[in-house]
Amino acid sequence: MRLQAALFLAACVSPVAAIFRDEVNHIDFHHALLGAPSPDSTFFVKPSSASNASLLYTISDKSILGAINPRDGALLWRQDLSRSDAATGGASLLRTSDGNNAVVGAAGQHISSWTAQDGKLIWENQFKDGVVADVELLELEEASKTSGPRDSLALVAGESVGFVRRLDGATGSVKWEHKDESGDVAFQVSSSPTEVFYISLQSALLKGHKVKVTVLDPVTGRQIRQHVLNSENDIATPESVLFVGANVASPLIAWADKAQKALKVNIIGTKQVQTINIENASGHEIRQITIHAPHKLNSLPHFLVHYVTDNGAWAEVYHVDLKSAAITRAYSLPYLQGQSVVATSNIDANVYFTRITESEAVVVSSASHGILGRWNIEDSPKERALYAVSEAISKGKSVVVRAAILRESGAWDLIRNGQTEWVRHEGLIDAVAATWIEPQIQESLAHELEVEGHESLVGAYTHRVKRHIRDLEHLPEWLKNLPQRIISSVLADEVTNLDSFGLAKSVIIATKAGRLYALNTAEQGAVAWSVQVEETSQWDVKSIVTRPGEATIYVSDGSSATVNVSTGEVTSRSAPKNVKLQSIISFDSETTIGVQEDGSLATTFEKSEELLVTTSADGRVLGWSGRDNKSPAWEFVPPSGQKVIHATSRPAHDPVASIGKVLGDRSVLYKYLNSNLALVTAVNEKDHTAGFYLLDGVSGNVLHATTHDSVDTTQPIASVMSENWFAYSFFGDVLDESSAKGYQLVVSELYESSIPNDRGPLDAAGNYSSIHGNSGDSLPLPHVVSQSFVIPEPISHMAVTQTRQGITTRQLICTLPESSSIIGIPRPVLDPRRPVDRDPTSAEAEEGLFRYAPLLEFDGKWYITHARDVSGIKTVLSQPTLLESTSVLFAFGGDVFGTRATPSQAFDVLGKSFNKLQLVLTVVALTGGVAFLAPMVRKKQVNLLWKAN
Amino acid sequence: MLALVVLLLSHLAAASLTITIPTSNLLPNPHALPASTHATLTTLPASNGDDHLLTAPLSHISTFAFRDIPVQQGSYLLDIRSSEYIFAPYRVDIAADGSVLGVWETFRGNPWDNRGAEKYVVDVAGKKQSDVVVEAKLLGRRGFFEERASFSPMSLLKNPMLLLAVAALGLTFVDPEMRAEFEEQSRSSALTGATGNAMAGGNFDLAGWMAGTSPGPMANAEPAAGGATGRDSGAATRRRG
Repeated sequence: MRLQAALFLAACVSPVAAIFRDEVNHIDFHHALLGAPSPDSTFFVKPSSASNASLLYTISDKSILGAINPRDGALLWRQDLSRSDAATGGASLLRTSDGNNAVVGAAGQHISSWTAQDGKLIWENQFKDGVVADVELLELEEASKTSGPRDSLALVAGESVGFVRRLDGATGSVKWEHKDESGDVAFQVSSSPTEVFYISLQSALLKGHKVKVTVLDPVTGRQIRQHVLNSENDIATPESVLFVGANVASPLIAWADKAQKALKVNIIGTKQVQTINIENASGHEIRQITIHAPHKLNSLPHFLVHYVTDNGAWAEVYHVDLKSAAITRAYSLPYLQGQSVVATSNIDANVYFTRITESEAVVVSSASHGILGRWNIEDSPKERALYAVSEAISKGKSVVVRAAILRESGAWDLIRNGQTEWVRHEGLIDAVAATWIEPQIQESLAHELEVEGHESLVGAYTHRVKRHIRDLEHLPEWLKNLPQRIISSVLADEVTNLDSFGLAKSVIIATKAGRLYALNTAEQGAVAWSVQVEETSQWDVKSIVTRPGEATIYVSDGSSATVNVSTGEVTSRSAPKNVKLQSIISFDSETTIGVQEDGSLATTFEKSEELLVTTSADGRVLGWSGRDNKSPAWEFVPPSGQKVIHATSRPAHDPVASIGKVLGDRSVLYKYLNSNLALVTAVNEKDHTAGFYLLDGVSGNVLHATTHDSVDTTQPIASVMSENWFAYSFFGDVLDESSAKGYQLVVSELYESSIPNDRGPLDAAGNYSSIHGNSGDSLPLPHVVSQSFVIPEPISHMAVTQTRQGITTRQLICTLPESSSIIGIPRPVLDPRRPVDRDPTSAEAEEGLFRYAPLLEFDGKWYITHARDVSGIKTVLSQPTLLESTSVLFAFGGDVFGTRATPSQAFDVLGKSFNKLQLVLTVVALTGGVAFLAPMVRKKQVNLLWKAN
Repeated sequence: MLALVVLLLSHLAAASLTITIPTSNLLPNPHALPASTHATLTTLPASNGDDHLLTAPLSHISTFAFRDIPVQQGSYLLDIRSSEYIFAPYRVDIAADGSVLGVWETFRGNPWDNRGAEKYVVDVAGKKQSDVVVEAKLLGRRGFFEERASFSPMSLLKNPMLLLAVAALGLTFVDPEMRAEFEEQSRSSALTGATGNAMAGGNFDLAGWMAGTSPGPMANAEPAAGGATGRDSGAATRRRG
C-alpha cells in the first residue's frame, strides 16, 4: 500500500516525461553487444526439434553467451558467464546440438546449461579442482534417438591433473569421472558414437609433445585402452595441434610438420598416423592451416583443409573411408588471390562447404567439386575476415547458404545470397572513453560571424552582404528540394526535423581493444567509421579532446593520437612518455595536463584563473592553483583510516537559471552557488565507513562533511554534483534496531542561509574570496538540507541531464547494473525539503513539495531504457542541444545506448501526436466553409437592412 | 573418486535456497520473464572478505536456486532483480553452518527487525532442512511507456461546445414555434446590434484599429469629428454585425 501511495504521489507531482511506444528506435538506439564470438563456439542451431528456423549461438571472448536471430541480427538473450571471483584462464566454450533445447557453456571453473529458446538456466556446476578445458555433448547412438537432454563430457584441467567427467544432461551432476594423474597436459575430449576419447599431451623426453589418446567407456568411464602417437617432432606447444574432431562419425586429430610440407592426420581410436603431402603450388609461405569438418554425428566423414598464405588461399577436400580408415583426397578448391574463409554446414548427412572471398561466396558439396551456388558479394567490407559459420538450406536442387563472418575489426556480419543482411559491431564492447564531436559546418559559420564581429561597421556589412550573396548559390538546390521537403515533413514521423537543433550529434568512442568508432546518434547509432589506432588489448584512453574537424586521444602512457573526425584517418601521433597518468585534464583544446598516479601534475601550466583538484593513489586530495603549480596549494587528508576513492565536481556546462528558490509564500531561499566545489568520497574498508566531503576547490576548506557507518565499500558508491545540490548512493547495513538494510540515495541541497530572503554574510558583500577574508575563514558555510531515501537497487554511476539554459528541470541519471537499465529520477522527487511525517501545507504544495516517504520506488516512467536490457554501462554522457527542453544522452562501457531526455517534457517541440496533415485539412475546410458561407451571410444582412427600413 | 565424494559432501553441508515464482494475475506465465531476471543475496562483507554477494539466475522452471550458500553467518537481503516486475524483498537469516534459519518478508525503508510474513523458519526440534523452498511475492509491474491519446470521433463529439450547438440546432428544428420566436428575436437583436453599435461604438474593434482599418475609440466618441470618418466607421461596424 505504501508503495502504491508513493508511486501515486510521485506520478502526481512530477511531470514525468516517459517515452512513447512509437518513439522507441526513433529517439533512442541500442547496440546490445556480446564481444567477439569465439571461433569454435559459434553455431547455427535449431533451438528445439519443433522449430524450423535456427538461431545463431555464440560465446564471446568476454564469456558472454548469447543467441542471435539470424534474420535481423537482434540479440534474443544473453548470459554473462564470467565471474569476478572465479579463477580465470581457459577459453570460453559453448556446445549445442540441433533440436536439443540446451546449450552448454563453460568459462573458468564454471559450466552451465541453458535453454536454447529463452536462455534460462537448466543446471550449473563448479569444479573447484581446475578450469574447464573442453566440453563435448555426448552423442551416443542410443541417446540420439531420444530427444531428451544430452549428457556432456567436461575436461577439467587442474594443476598437473586432468579429469574427464560425464555430466548428467538434466541435473549437471557428475555420472562418472576419469582422473589422469600422469601430469600430461589435459588437452581435448572427443567422442564417437561408441567411445569417449581423452586426448592429452605427454611431454616428450627432449622436446615437444606426444599425443596420448585414452579410450574410455561412455557408460562407466572405465579406461578401455590407451595409445601414444609419435608427434614430438612436430608438436612443440598445444597450439601446434590444428584440429581435434568433435562428434563426427570419424573424429580425427591433425597437425602439420614444422616445415609445413606434410599434414599428419590420425583417426582417433586408431594407432596409425597418415601423412598427407601439402602441395603448395602458390609458392608462398603458408600462414595458416585450418581444418573444417562437420560436427553432426551422422554426417559424411569428409573434411576440408584450408591453407592461407599472405596473398591468397586454397583448400583441399578429403574423404575418410570408415572401414579401412584410409584418407583420400577428393578434390581441391583452387588458389584464389585475396582473403577467403571457409565454413561447414550440413543438410542431413550431406556436408557443404561455403567459401567466402572478398568478391563472391561459393557453395560446394563435400562429395563432388561441382559448384552448387555462387553469389557475388556487393559492397563487401575490405577488412580481413577471421572466420565464418554457415547454414545451408536446400531449395529444390540448389543450396542456399547464409554465413556469419567475423571481421578483424570486430564487426560480425551475415551474408545471405551475396547480400549483407546485418552487421553487428561487437568491437564496440568495452568502450573506455567517449565524447561528442562538433560538426565542422557550424564551426565555419561561427568563424565567419566572428570575423564580422571584429571588423569595422562598413567592413562587417560588406562581409555580410558578400556572405549572403555567396549563400545564394545554394538557392536553386534549396528550391529544388522544397517540394520534397514539404511532402516529407507532412508525412514524416517527426513533425519537425530536429537534426538542425543539435540532436544529430556524433560521438567518438575509444575501446579497450585500441579501436576508435564514430557513431551518429541521428541514424540510430550507425557506425560512421571505425579505425584501429593502437594494436593493444589494454588501451587506457584517459581523455578525448575535440576541436572542429579533429579529435585527439590521450592515453595513460602519455602518448596521443589525432584523428580526422569525419573520416577517422589518423593525422598525427605522439610517442608514449615514461609516465603513468591517472587522468588527463584539458582546459581548452590546446592545453592538456596529465595527472600522475600520486596526484601530482606531469607538467606545469600557466592559467591564473584556473584551478585543479586531483586525487592521489594513497588516498589524498590535492589542490593546484593556476598561478603557481609547482607544489599543491592545499592538501586534504581524510580522517585516519579513510582513503579517497572518488572526487567529482559540477559539470563544465552547468547553467543556473535562477539564483534562488521561490517559496510558496513568495520569499526566496538563495542557492549556494560556487563553481569551485568538489565532492570527495572517502572510505574505510576495515570498519565499513564512508565519508563524503564537500570541499572548496580554491582553499581546500571542508564546507560540509557526512559520514555513514556500515557501508559496504566493495559495492559501487556513486556520486554526482550539479547546481547547488549533490547526491550519492551506497549500500548501508543495519546499524541499530531502527535502521534499515539496503541501498540508499542521499540528496543534499546547499543554500546561503536557512532563512528565506536572507543571503547571510554575503548579502552586503560586493566581492568575496575563499582565501582572504575579514575574519579568518571568510567564505560562509552553506546551509545544507539533506534527505535520504531507500532505493531498491544499487546505482553504479550517476549523471545529470544538461540543457542549454538550465531552465528545464534536471534529472538524476542513474545506471542500475542489476536490472540492466538507466533511469532518470526527476529532481522534484528528490527535493530534500519534502515535509517529513506530515502532509505539506498549501504553501509547500504550491512549491511542488509532497510528503516524504523513506522508500523511493522507481517508477516505470523514469526508465529511459524502458524495456531494453542495457548492460555493462560504465559512463553516461549528457549534452545540451539547441532545444532547451532536450538533452541528448549517450551511455557506454558495455553496451552502447543513446537517447534524448526531456525532463520537463518536450515543451518546445511538437510531438508525434501533432498531425500536420490534419491541421492543413482543417484550415482548408474552414477556408472553404467561410468562402461558402460569407456570400450567404452578406446577402442575408443586406436583406435584413432593407427589411428593417 | 575421493575428490568426488568430498565434492558431494561439501554439497550436503551447505544448504540451498530455492525461490519459486508463482503464477499471479500480474504475471500469468512466469516463463515469460526475460533471461536477465535474477535473484541476489546481499549483506555487509565479513572481515575476512568472504563472498557476500550471491547471484542466482532464472532457471527454466522459473526458480532461483542458491546452491552452496557460503558459511557466513548473518542476515541477508534477498532481492529479485527485474526491470519490469517488482518483487517483495525478503530477509534471509543464515546460520554459521550455512543452513537457512528463516525467511521473512521485509519492507524497504523500515527497520530491519520489522519482519513481515514468515515464509520459512527452521524447525528447532526437528532436523535441519537442507533445501529451503520459498515462494516469491510479486508486488507490481512497471509501465514503461506513456500512452498516446488516440484520435477518436467520439471524443470530438463529447466536446461541450459541440454538444451545446447540436442541442440548440436540434431544438430549433424540432419546435417550429420556438424557431419562429428565435428568428424574431434574432432579427430584432441583429437590428439593435447593428444600429446600437453604430450609435454607441460600445464594442471597440481593437484588431481593426491596430490594423488601421477601423478608427480608434475617440473617433466614435466624437461623432462630430469629420462626417466621412463617421460614415465609414458606421459601415465598418455594420459589416461586422
